[in-house]
Amino acid sequence: MTRDELAEVVRSRVAEVVGVPTAEITETTDLRAEHDVDSLELMEIGTRLEQALGTRIDASNLMDMRNVGHAVDLLHSRLRERV
Amino acid sequence: MTQRVAVTGIGLKTPAGTGVEQVLDALAEGRSTAAAVPDLCDRGLPVTFACRVPDFDTTPYFSLRELRQVDRVAMLAVSAAADAFADAGLGPFADPARVGITVGTGVAALSFVEQLVMEYGGSPERLPAFSVTRAMANSAAARLAIRYGIQGPAPTYAMACVSGAAAIGEGMLKIRSGQLDVVLAGGADAPVSPVVVSSFARMGAMSRRNDDPASASRPFDDERDGFVMGEGAAFLILESWAHAEARGASIIGELRGYGSNSDAHHIVAPREDGSAAARCMRLALADAGLGPADIGHVNAHGTSTVQNDLAEAHAIVDCFGTASPPIAATKGSLGHSLGASGAIEAVVALMSAVNGTVPPVANFRSGHGGTSMVDVVSGAVRKIPPLPALSNSFGFGGHNVSLVFAPC
Repeated sequence: MTRDELAEVVRSRVAEVVGVPTAEITETTDLRAEHDVDSLELMEIGTRLEQALGTRIDASNLMDMRNVGHAVDLLHSRLRERV
Repeated sequence: MTQRVAVTGIGLKTPAGTGVEQVLDALAEGRSTAAAVPDLCDRGLPVTFACRVPDFDTTPYFSLRELRQVDRVAMLAVSAAADAFADAGLGPFADPARVGITVGTGVAALSFVEQLVMEYGGSPERLPAFSVTRAMANSAAARLAIRYGIQGPAPTYAMACVSGAAAIGEGMLKIRSGQLDVVLAGGADAPVSPVVVSSFARMGAMSRRNDDPASASRPFDDERDGFVMGEGAAFLILESWAHAEARGASIIGELRGYGSNSDAHHIVAPREDGSAAARCMRLALADAGLGPADIGHVNAHGTSTVQNDLAEAHAIVDCFGTASPPIAATKGSLGHSLGASGAIEAVVALMSAVNGTVPPVANFRSGHGGTSMVDVVSGAVRKIPPLPALSNSFGFGGHNVSLVFAPC
């Protein structure tokens, strides 16, 4: 999976939970500052990404992420390590 | 001093419509809303039909984000309560600690849990993070408290098919005692799913008229053969008379009496002579300071099961003697929405009393098999004087609740 493909998956899963069109979620979107996302919603984003990507996601990684692009970077390196 | 309790707002989400006027108009036609449910038909289940709330626009009630965090019970409950809240013209509360919420639900999120188990039973490690918040029985009460900043008590009552009526009665007591000024009181259930419907079917409680769903729910009729599953929600805004008057609220009617007791007899069957149910009605009348002759009509529990309707007819005769008031049985049109039914029927009873019109019982033809001793309204709306109404709810477990509403 290329980084662009991965970014699309992340943006669409985030958009599902936040309840907005995927186009409104960009890599610079700060979920806490712009969408007031709470920890339970972050967990839900994590479970949806786990299903989509078939990999375990540590909740603390999600808590640490600054914005969507940062999350894509983290997942991208994780998936590459697995390969 | 004991506070009188005013009803200042009502909201309904039912199979006959999602607005109060729409529901009352549909009930006046005396038709059933039961229809085949594809999910049930596809599986070849013993019962393949139900009364379902039609799809409605949820955007006035929920953002897409919130909608994904609630199950259908809470979705219906919050929508109905929001309608009631708007109807009452309530705004921000001066003292949110003196506002409360009482909710009744029979099976809560059981159908949602069924769906979770079907989808994730083999891999629980994949469960959504929102599983618990959607499944917990107090989900509707919690959502309402958060939405409206309500800081008083918010209990959820689980008393099977009397749950919604119990929530209304218990809410009334909290106002009478002086503990609270305002209570959002109601009930909700959404039990139309393969496992839940089949569970009730397997105990022999449901009508098997799969080939003619619209004729299946027929309370008090000789040809009845069981109840029809429904779903829905109803909420009332209960308010101390003083609080309602002080804010210039429009008062719809008075919640005047509440009776509650138990059969202590059988886990699902009612006492055949209806004696405990009759006592429950008398408790509600005494609480209202009224006698049987003061009641203009009864909104019966009337499930369309053979045993319930016969026992209820006996109970009504026990309480009212041979002078039966006109009897409405809303489940003929709406099916049995379990914990929601008592709240829906409370609203229907109140509005029937206020409007002086009792809706006919769908599919009722004759009661020669034992229910003819009560005056079942059939065929067309019955005009009555604007007198107090008594609304009955009887539940599995042998729980009974009766409420008395009076027009202003």
